[in-house]
Amino acid sequence: MFLLSICQWLDSTRLNAFMRMSTWFFPTFDTIHTLGIVLVAGTIMLVDLRLLGLTLRSEPVAGVVERIVPWTLRGFALMFVTGALLFSSEAVKLYHSPAFRIKLVLLALAGLNALIFHLTIYRDVANWDPAAAAPIRARLAGLLSLAFWIGIITAGRAIAYGSGYDLG
Amino acid sequence: MARAPMQFLDLLPVFEWMESTPVAQTIRHSAKLIALLESIHLIGLTLLLGTILMVDLSLLGLGIGRSPASRIAKELRGWTTAGIVIMLTSGPVILSSEAIRCYRTPAFWVKMALLAIALIFHFTIHRKVVFEQPPAPRARWTAWLSLGLWTSVALAGKAIAIFQPPD
Repeated sequence: MFLLSICQWLDSTRLNAFMRMSTWFFPTFDTIHTLGIVLVAGTIMLVDLRLLGLTLRSEPVAGVVERIVPWTLRGFALMFVTGALLFSSEAVKLYHSPAFRIKLVLLALAGLNALIFHLTIYRDVANWDPAAAAPIRARLAGLLSLAFWIGIITAGRAIAYGSGYDLG
Repeated sequence: MARAPMQFLDLLPVFEWMESTPVAQTIRHSAKLIALLESIHLIGLTLLLGTILMVDLSLLGLGIGRSPASRIAKELRGWTTAGIVIMLTSGPVILSSEAIRCYRTPAFWVKMALLAIALIFHFTIHRKVVFEQPPAPRARWTAWLSLGLWTSVALAGKAIAIFQPPD
């Protein structure tokens, strides 16, 4: 299959060889990867909770997004680069992990949800920000984002405990 | 076996008892339960670090709008507490499933020491500085120390899984 051959090729690259050069690389990048996810989820959850009206109600949504999202993106960069390195070190193994597939799908859905939010309802934020409650579509985006990120964290842990997969 | 970290108060029997409980044994033999509990623990950490980062950024002058750190902290306090409660509840349950291994792993004791320091710091100096009006010059190092302490707790936690106990 196409995806499997990509994974097999990745396992034969220099990136894979690099990751195997030291037993320290995997746990080190894994640790940075976890911190990256915590930064992404920890910051985006605050935006989600604000959209749902569950915190920071005295601050306008636009102000919260403006200050928090740059940190989300920094976390995402950390998570993406280290995630790619971790993946390249055992691509075929992860190809066979159901939890890994679920994690990728949830990640894509979280990205799509954020993209749709920013391109549609958030464009109009100046109009609805002064209102007591955010519009239903904004609240829905917040709720979905919360659910997706909780799912991503859980799927990530499940990868480590899946069949034949040792915790590194 | 590694020497007991505290000779005057040997906690090994407590750890042995923890691991012998039915709850610990059930979790120990279920990869799914361990993964689930660790996920809950991580979600608690996410809440805790996310909210504390926002308060510390405010202390550093990088907060939301012109809102003082005290207002941000007051609004986020409930979620910070929720994060701490989730971690302090799920943590001991995870610990019980491998209590004896943790007892012998230095990273575990490092994490407990850092956690104690971070909690005391958070509820004393950090809280006092956050609510000081007008903001004191020591706000800067308080913010950095807070970020450093909590990150260290998280790193030490990861180290428990990575480092095996010495023989």
